[in-house]
Amino acid sequence: MQHNEKANNAALGLDVGTSRICVAQRVGEEFQFETQLNAFVTVPFSNMTESVLTKENIPHTVSGPEIMVHGNESDRFADLLNVDTRRTMTKGVLNPVEPDSLPMFRKIVGSLLDSTSEPRKLCFTVPAAPLGAEENLTYHEATLRHVLTEMGYQVKSINEGLAVIYSELESTNYTGIGISCGGGLCNVCVAYLSVPVMSFSIPKAGDYIDSNAASVTGELANRVRIAKEDSFHFNGFHSDKLLQVLNVYYDEMIQSLVQGIKQAFSNSRNLPKQKRPLPVVLSGGTALPHGFRARFEKIFNEANLPVPTSDIRMAADPLHTSAKGALVAALADL
Amino acid sequence: MPQFLTEWKAGKIKDPVARLRYLQLKIGAGSIHAVPRRTRWKAVSLLPALACLFIPGFKASNSDDELLPPPAPHLAAVGVDVFTDVWLVEKTHDVETYSNGLQIDDRYAVSNEPRLPYPVFGRNEPNFSQSTLRAQPAGIVYHTTESDQASFEENQNRTLQRIGQEVLSFIKRNRCYHFVIDRFGQVFRIVEESDVAYHAGNSVWADSDAIYVNLNASFLGIAFETRTQPGELASANPAQIHAARVLTQMLRGKYRIHESNCVTHAQVSVNPYNMLVGYHTDWAGNFPFLEVGLNDNYTAPPASIYAFGFDYDPVFVHRTGLRLWQGLALAEDQLRTQAVAQGLRLSQYRSLLRQNYKEIITTLKAASAKEERHAT
Repeated sequence: MQHNEKANNAALGLDVGTSRICVAQRVGEEFQFETQLNAFVTVPFSNMTESVLTKENIPHTVSGPEIMVHGNESDRFADLLNVDTRRTMTKGVLNPVEPDSLPMFRKIVGSLLDSTSEPRKLCFTVPAAPLGAEENLTYHEATLRHVLTEMGYQVKSINEGLAVIYSELESTNYTGIGISCGGGLCNVCVAYLSVPVMSFSIPKAGDYIDSNAASVTGELANRVRIAKEDSFHFNGFHSDKLLQVLNVYYDEMIQSLVQGIKQAFSNSRNLPKQKRPLPVVLSGGTALPHGFRARFEKIFNEANLPVPTSDIRMAADPLHTSAKGALVAALADL
Repeated sequence: MPQFLTEWKAGKIKDPVARLRYLQLKIGAGSIHAVPRRTRWKAVSLLPALACLFIPGFKASNSDDELLPPPAPHLAAVGVDVFTDVWLVEKTHDVETYSNGLQIDDRYAVSNEPRLPYPVFGRNEPNFSQSTLRAQPAGIVYHTTESDQASFEENQNRTLQRIGQEVLSFIKRNRCYHFVIDRFGQVFRIVEESDVAYHAGNSVWADSDAIYVNLNASFLGIAFETRTQPGELASANPAQIHAARVLTQMLRGKYRIHESNCVTHAQVSVNPYNMLVGYHTDWAGNFPFLEVGLNDNYTAPPASIYAFGFDYDPVFVHRTGLRLWQGLALAEDQLRTQAVAQGLRLSQYRSLLRQNYKEIITTLKAASAKEERHAT
């Protein structure tokens, strides 16, 4: 990341998402963000290709007979080559079946963050354990911690849902429900006066929608994602089959998310008896399509949750919410 | 303060960061970490009590066991290699004086077989098949002499000195280490830096570029005159820690040694006969990394496990304690992930890695035998 002279260089927030990695820093009263796609694509090595990539400033790594193009440009190359991008992460954690997961993750993070010799705090997001499943996040978190520490940062982790709360629920003294709908997971956190009291994730999110829609339509998942981000919306009828299919899987994802929240509230004996209604904030790339909030609210209200909720609203900047929350946490820790 | 008042006061704070900081201070420190799901709400009510533990000087009991010296400040940023240029100020017949205050006593210095270019194995090479040669020391291994210990008191001076001299003579005869730090914090050069010392035996370590196998040539050996007492971890006194700090600073600056390559014998030692790590357990869990001016390398995963499929047993875990265990757990996780990536069962994958190790050892032995024949 190129740092502005006036930036508060003492702290950074890093949202490590399955689909994108985003770094946040504060410049005066403003928050600044930089994002890279957390993906890469392999192209055969040739001197010509290598020199073109270098000339065009496209982040890449030569690895034997291949060149790995990583970050934002991987999308375009995957589309050109008619292949799916490879992903360093899946379902919110480092991808165990991708042999180049870690080196590519380092490269992508390295394109966003400079190594530092100054004592700088960095707070990075980690997912919560999937609802009803065993927590198995130790390796993921420890590896991220190791990578970032090697770069010279004093690192701390924050639950992704809690980061949403720190970013958006200042007006209620960080009390409420934060939901981040990302690529691999939907993360949910309930906090009371900034203290997390419940968090979990569900493994149905953007990638689930993409891969299922891809298998039904015969498209590549990457192309489904691009179509979803470019033209999908909730309101109205879609004549296009892909958009119709997306509608179906989006609905299924929201149903699972709301049922997950209901189940978590019902099962948790330790939750406080809340008299005040809790606000709900939605964030993340998967929550971006027009009409998402209204559809979520409808399904949410039909579910009769055991806790009263006030407004359900979208985050001000859904793609950068978690990174901002991580930054707020890092700054508060200075 | 009543909760409503806390909330009201927080509401008056305009800056979101300051507001969060205020709430965390009033409601509980450390709350930005995820709390285990089943205990979260109880945790809120326990926070004020827990917060007491962070008050300087607060003690829940009178047990002296809880009094730990604070670590010396670590000036270099974590994970970034900062090298200090330390130069030789003066060298007399017996003593070298360096610009950072280090003094090395050369009275026991001895030469040994010279360090010939040694092979290192590329981390990103399949099966670590490609090796390159290097000539400079790449790291430091810290040892304990495990020698007799008289109690460290003034009236024991003569005994302490006698034991120290005997230890130094033994180490000199056997070319065990490059340097020894005695109990008074004096640094003694034993084997010349240009030569090999027989300090590491069967051993493995890796940095971000390369894997090092059998570290006698590639790493320098520094031994602390100390002994691991039964049921306890080894320890060093303040004079020894200071000496280790200035000696490490000098060596790192001179050879540009990465912090990550400054490790303990327990971290690198392996036993190829039973394929377990930790054949030697010097500094298994209590090396004062921070005080010596280094990152806590105990959290680094040992390459012996993830690169060559070594295992560890409960005895070793028991000896290491929590600090080194973190690195072991990380290495195990890494091994599992790699096995999945290769589409192999863990046992199959481990066997393949072990085969790689055996091939490397065979190659190293053959090269060593060839060198010996050549020399004769």
